[in-house]
Amino acid sequence: MVEGMKMPAVLDILSDNIIKYGNPLALKGPQVAAWAKGLDLPVKGDLLFYTGGEYQLLPFIDTLVKTITHIDTGSKAFSMMMGVRKVINKTGINAEKIYASVLAKDKDRYNSICFKAAKVLQGLGYEFCYSGNEELYSGALLYELGYMEDMKDYVQKVAGVIKESGAKTIVCLSPHAAEVFKFVYPKLVEGFDLEIRTFVELVWERRDKLAKSQTTGAVVIHDSCRLARELGIHQELRDILESVGVEVKEAPQNREWTSCCGGPIKMLFPELSHVIGSRRVDELKASGTDHILTSCPYCLSALEGGLAKNDPAIVEDLIELLYRGVKA
Amino acid sequence: MTVDLRKDFVTYAKSLNKASEDPNIRTAIGRAVTSYRETVAETLERFPHTPALALEVQEIKRQSIANLDQLLEQAMASVERNKGKAFYAKDHETALELALSIIGTGKTVVKGKSMLGEELHLREYLEEKGNEVWETDLGEFILQLRKERPMHILSPSIHVPREQVAEVFSKFFGKEVPPDIAEEVKVVREFMREKYFTADVGISGANVVAADTGAMVIIENEGNVRLATGAPPVHIVMVGIEKLVPTFQDAMKVAEVTWRYAQYGVPGYVNIVSGPSKTGDIEKVTTYGAHGPKEFYVIFVDNGRSDMAKDEKFSQALHCLRCGGCMYECPVFQVTAGHFGHIYMGGIGTIWTAFVSGGMEKAAPLIHSCLRCGRCVERCPMSIEVPAMVGELRKRVIYGE
Ligand code: SF4
Repeated sequence: MVEGMKMPAVLDILSDNIIKYGNPLALKGPQVAAWAKGLDLPVKGDLLFYTGGEYQLLPFIDTLVKTITHIDTGSKAFSMMMGVRKVINKTGINAEKIYASVLAKDKDRYNSICFKAAKVLQGLGYEFCYSGNEELYSGALLYELGYMEDMKDYVQKVAGVIKESGAKTIVCLSPHAAEVFKFVYPKLVEGFDLEIRTFVELVWERRDKLAKSQTTGAVVIHDSCRLARELGIHQELRDILESVGVEVKEAPQNREWTSCCGGPIKMLFPELSHVIGSRRVDELKASGTDHILTSCPYCLSALEGGLAKNDPAIVEDLIELLYRGVKA
Repeated sequence: MTVDLRKDFVTYAKSLNKASEDPNIRTAIGRAVTSYRETVAETLERFPHTPALALEVQEIKRQSIANLDQLLEQAMASVERNKGKAFYAKDHETALELALSIIGTGKTVVKGKSMLGEELHLREYLEEKGNEVWETDLGEFILQLRKERPMHILSPSIHVPREQVAEVFSKFFGKEVPPDIAEEVKVVREFMREKYFTADVGISGANVVAADTGAMVIIENEGNVRLATGAPPVHIVMVGIEKLVPTFQDAMKVAEVTWRYAQYGVPGYVNIVSGPSKTGDIEKVTTYGAHGPKEFYVIFVDNGRSDMAKDEKFSQALHCLRCGGCMYECPVFQVTAGHFGHIYMGGIGTIWTAFVSGGMEKAAPLIHSCLRCGRCVERCPMSIEVPAMVGELRKRVIYGE
């Protein structure tokens, strides 16, 4: 009988980072919370605004894959699986070098999504708190990748931070965070009985307060797997868009039949993930519009990555679209 | 001992990447997915009772898997009562040895499509032991000639276009076979007919087995199973124990749900075989081997299935009807076909790989290429929770269990 299996290094790196630094890519608290500067959000309140650092880390995922490819001229997959430890030791995921190589425009865009989400909710009259530098990643990846024993310890830390806020309800930007808070945490953390909501649900409840959107032309919704299937949220997205006066075209595979963006296997199988992403982009464009809308950080990043070079199609998050209405 | 799987991941990733660039796979699967969705949507509309029947079958399967030992005993007794011979094979080797002890060497064997056959590498084994073995399912026959493994459980040669079929047939038959599907089908028909009637043994699987009657139910469209199990003097059924259900009526329900989700619409043939061929037409004296086989054997194969049945996190995987629906809906399978698999394919295949055909080492890379997106569950008539099982397997990979 085999006792242990030596797995691709990338798995250890992600899980170690989460356990040690509270973030899959070991981003530091201030980096994750930079978006909130100037908003003066309280740290305590009934409703906790939870980012999990997920939108913030998006630009680094691609850079990580790219950096490693650059160093090891072999295939991406090869280096991710074999040499990553060495590569990391040489460059360091946390090293300024990787952060510096991230395109400023990507960093700004993804960082600002949290800011925009906060503004949209405030515009609808929601008051909320935010844990700032203390906020920890939900651990969804530990759960995804099978690190359940580590997850058991880790969630206690996260739950501790959440408890500090005194909140009764958490609003999650990422459906992955919402999924683990809703279905996994109650099994692992004693007395974890917070109400778990998503950004989409809160907006949906007050959608009649939304200003009309200046977005012209129709959009197609890429339903995130987690949001549509695990959390059963898909009609809400359509209702919201109707309220802001944006026409929705449907892809043949939508709602609970939505097709995955390929994101979940990006770290281990980057090439394949990319192929799946571009196939999904094609499927979405078959709806008759090039304006793709989603509501999940990983879908956003994977579909963006699935666009062919010079493809004029637009991929954006619902948050970005709604924020344009706030500004007006 | 610790096994280093990093190289396996690399090799696997490369094979996935290569498959995802293969235009044949792309076109073929693209077509197959569209046709699958259309046929199933259309037949579900035509037979709207199906989803409710599928729920009933879920319950039949759940109870059957919980009572496998008892059903097995009953089924073996039924087969014997019908004058067949029933065997139980605990593992891979025993299954092959039992088959060999019936067949011997120097024989001609015609065989129907069976995933269990793939799992056991049955054809290769019998060939090695000096037999001539023919895959009678057209798709399997093409792969036999191309020395390839199936890329889908129901349409094994899904990735081979007609031009390539013509090429391999021309070479094999030693004459020019045009890339015309009707012509291709015809040459095989002529060739196989001769094999059916000269073969010593016919081997088939079964889609479902009724324990009360010992009835083996085999669904097909081509008619090859009908001939392969009817013409030779010996018929051997090799079937996994998870196919057992209590009654004949249950078996019919399982069969109907299977073929509906397996894109048969209405299958060309449903074979029900419970024993050797017999007649009592002369003086009421029962004589075996009238027109069909004189000898009938059933080998019930376990090979990890009862372990799976006892593991509450995985027993549901044994409910799989092998309809193949989940594969068509799987985003990874859609671009890589059977490369996302090892014998058993797709998400459900990773579970089967871990338990019955390859173990955790073979399963680990597959397990990690699953997106856990959940669309297979949406499609599955048995609502098998593959993503949850994949999660559990990942956990076992990490902590070694
Ligand atoms: S897992 Fe479900 S959908 Fe897939 S082959 Fe089995 S029964 Fe069919």
